[in-house]
Amino acid sequence: MLEKLRTMIKGIDADFIDIRYEIKKQTLIAFTGREIRQIGSNSTDGYVVRVLKNGGFSTATVTKEEDVHRAIELAVEGAETIVETRGRKSEFEQVPVVRDKVMLELNGDPRKIPIDEKLALTSMYNDLMLEQPSIETTNLSYSEIGREKYYVNSEGSAVSEEILTTNIAGEVIARRDRLLQNIRISIGGADGYNRLLGRNDVFIKRARIAGKLLDAEPVKGGTYNVILSPLLTGVFTHEAFGHFSEADIIEDNPSLRKKMSLGESLGTEQVTIIADSTIPNQIGYYRYDDEGVEVKPVTLMDRGVLTGRLHSRRTAKAFGEPVTGHSVAEDMRFEPIIRMGTIFIEPGEKSFENLLEELGEGLYLIDGKGGQTSGENFTFGAQYGFIVKNGILGPMIRDINIMGNLFTTLQNITAVGNDLTISERGGCGKGQLNIKSALGGPHVLIHDMVVGGV
Amino acid sequence: MKKLLETASKVSEQAEVYSIRTDSSALEMRNGTPTDLSASIQSGFAIRLLKDGRIGTAYTKNLLDREELVENALDSLKGNVKAGFSFPASVDIPGSQAPDDSIAEMGYHDLHKHSERVLDHLKGKIEGQIDVHSGRGITDLEIINTSGLDVSSKTSFMYTFTSLLFPNTETSVHKIFLSRKPADFPKGELDNLMNMYNAGLPEVEISTGRMKVVFMPDAMYTLIWRLSAAASGKSFYNKVSPLQNRRGEQIVSEKFSLYGDPTDPDDVSQTYFDDEGVPTGKNTIIDKGVFKNIILNLDYAEKLNEKPAGNGFRGGMWGGETISLLPAPSLHCCRISPGSISLEEMIASIDKGVIILGVLGAHSGNILNGDFSVGLNPGYYVENGEIRGRVKDGMAAGNAYEILMNIEHVENTLHDSITGGKYPAILINNVNVAAKD
Repeated sequence: MLEKLRTMIKGIDADFIDIRYEIKKQTLIAFTGREIRQIGSNSTDGYVVRVLKNGGFSTATVTKEEDVHRAIELAVEGAETIVETRGRKSEFEQVPVVRDKVMLELNGDPRKIPIDEKLALTSMYNDLMLEQPSIETTNLSYSEIGREKYYVNSEGSAVSEEILTTNIAGEVIARRDRLLQNIRISIGGADGYNRLLGRNDVFIKRARIAGKLLDAEPVKGGTYNVILSPLLTGVFTHEAFGHFSEADIIEDNPSLRKKMSLGESLGTEQVTIIADSTIPNQIGYYRYDDEGVEVKPVTLMDRGVLTGRLHSRRTAKAFGEPVTGHSVAEDMRFEPIIRMGTIFIEPGEKSFENLLEELGEGLYLIDGKGGQTSGENFTFGAQYGFIVKNGILGPMIRDINIMGNLFTTLQNITAVGNDLTISERGGCGKGQLNIKSALGGPHVLIHDMVVGGV
Repeated sequence: MKKLLETASKVSEQAEVYSIRTDSSALEMRNGTPTDLSASIQSGFAIRLLKDGRIGTAYTKNLLDREELVENALDSLKGNVKAGFSFPASVDIPGSQAPDDSIAEMGYHDLHKHSERVLDHLKGKIEGQIDVHSGRGITDLEIINTSGLDVSSKTSFMYTFTSLLFPNTETSVHKIFLSRKPADFPKGELDNLMNMYNAGLPEVEISTGRMKVVFMPDAMYTLIWRLSAAASGKSFYNKVSPLQNRRGEQIVSEKFSLYGDPTDPDDVSQTYFDDEGVPTGKNTIIDKGVFKNIILNLDYAEKLNEKPAGNGFRGGMWGGETISLLPAPSLHCCRISPGSISLEEMIASIDKGVIILGVLGAHSGNILNGDFSVGLNPGYYVENGEIRGRVKDGMAAGNAYEILMNIEHVENTLHDSITGGKYPAILINNVNVAAKD
């Protein structure tokens, strides 16, 4: 395949051209309640072409092999148009020419497991949840996504890599009369099928929390000091800080770019943030990004000081900073954009009990329920929580959404726990879906968060 | 396609083939400079087989091996997914509006000219950054089945999305302009956007409390997602809808009517058939506050013993590859009926309140229950009928059914929204607003 791609881009009148071909194989088994809603395995494929010519940069994606020639024409024309319209002048940071083939190393290859076995496992976990008190229904899916990626560029790089993620994820819904409460659940990863086995306790626990939420009180809106659970810390780290560490987000906004200058002291001394997609067995793991660059660990913030940023080759050159290998596409329908892989706040020294004591009065908020950013403003939901009084956990609360400003909040993180949990499932929607966006951290204590309530 | 249907029909009782081809391009201009130009030509095929009361599905993008695609659907059929419905027979469907050929002929320079004209009009009038994104596309769609259905459409669209960013932030006021043929963003609408932007330049702090709230069209999806999820046939079938057994009941204010109308000739998404080939039409969900109809595709219509109304579309809350998504109950070309007063009159009537121009986190509340808790992005504070500025760190929260009982006014004009659909602004009394006290 690599040789075929090399032939396709040979002799093109441009300073740089690359092409990526992908085959994406998906297996999906979806339950709603006890009923199977969808089951099957499917395969799709396609091509992405990128051209750099006289400082103009443009991309085109096509499905069919016979359209690749047209894709190259469109990308060349696009690059020329950028120049003619006095658009952004692009250059690529130099990187080593790479020739590599990365094979999967899995603890249990899901492709060798019959679909009936996957169905039985998902059905068993689904039944466990449905058997718990007050549970009305579930939406639970087994999802297996494999990508065979083939990348070639005009500098001589030729890389192929397989990545494969599996998960069983969804929600469990409890009901009493007209009141409905749901809790999300996900297990999985990028290191094989065996991770999905023997997880009964997770599903039972999540279903029971959904049932208990029927008796929880809606949180009252206002400003609180809060402790975030490790996965909620991860949501904050990803949503509020992480996206601002993606060079393409701030690149064209001069004032924000200035605020995010390396060396700026933005957080408290307790905060160190790492993006590291080289950690094995995490869902964010990969070797090469979608422009053939080997991914590197990056310390984004070191004890409150901004020290690193996530880059593509183009943004690395524009910022005069090192290439990090974070240019990643959802699949063959998309050009790569800058994405986080595994991002987390580094654990500190405080136990959870220490944090509760320091909090005194406030809220303990647990597990993420989606988040969104717009520039420096962020919001994210917590699945449930507890009121804390005198450092002791009190009544359960629900309907929790938090809003804040990145720069203010980083200055309000006053303590960091000594634990670390990283999510088993990704799902960031920055224009494209990134199922490999692992996030996590320890428990953290934050002052003055605005909580929406209902 | 016909050969694929023939192959599929040999191994099933009923079969359906769906195909889609899109050809699109887009230009992003940030801070007045062209930054990204991209093109995309994508195709895909999806099949559904019915046999022994079960359904099997499969899809691919490159139809290189028909037998393999059918084999995948047969494997899926073994999964015992129950389906009691039949594929619709051929019906007379009005011809869709012919696509505008000039959209197909539009080049990158044409997109640039449309964006440049927006920038020219706003030049020197905006304190902050101006971003303009424009794009065009052609979609070819065809559905055939063994009941004799053979429908197709070719549609064209272009859009221009203008964002005015507040100084030193990424927070913006924005508006999308959609058209079936090449057209400039109307200057009057740009002026309205500019006036709204200027009113929000001062940043103000407010106190937590209950107050009047205006949901602007781009914030309306917060409520629409919740109402659509509750009215979906899927929620009814699984007995998790708060609207269960409430058909004919007053569920929100009589000032509120919600419907879908995919036949609206003014909508770029106009279609006379859904993604299952069922004819579309105006479908009223809430009429003057009374819950009228469930949103149904073929599958849930059969399961609930209802009549399908052309609401089966391949799509989802998070997008995704069209062919990989099964037709699901969906309110296409969604509308809220207009009221009687202008936005200016509405704002003038507010003693103390917040205008929500955009939201963050609409997806993260308890959607089925109708609960929401969203960041104001941005939200404007209004006092004595005048906008005082944009709110610093504010949230609005509540339950869609409860707050929609308290509608004071509905605007007399519908506007395109960034998430699709056309909505008026709605003024609601007594909504919980949280702020940094």
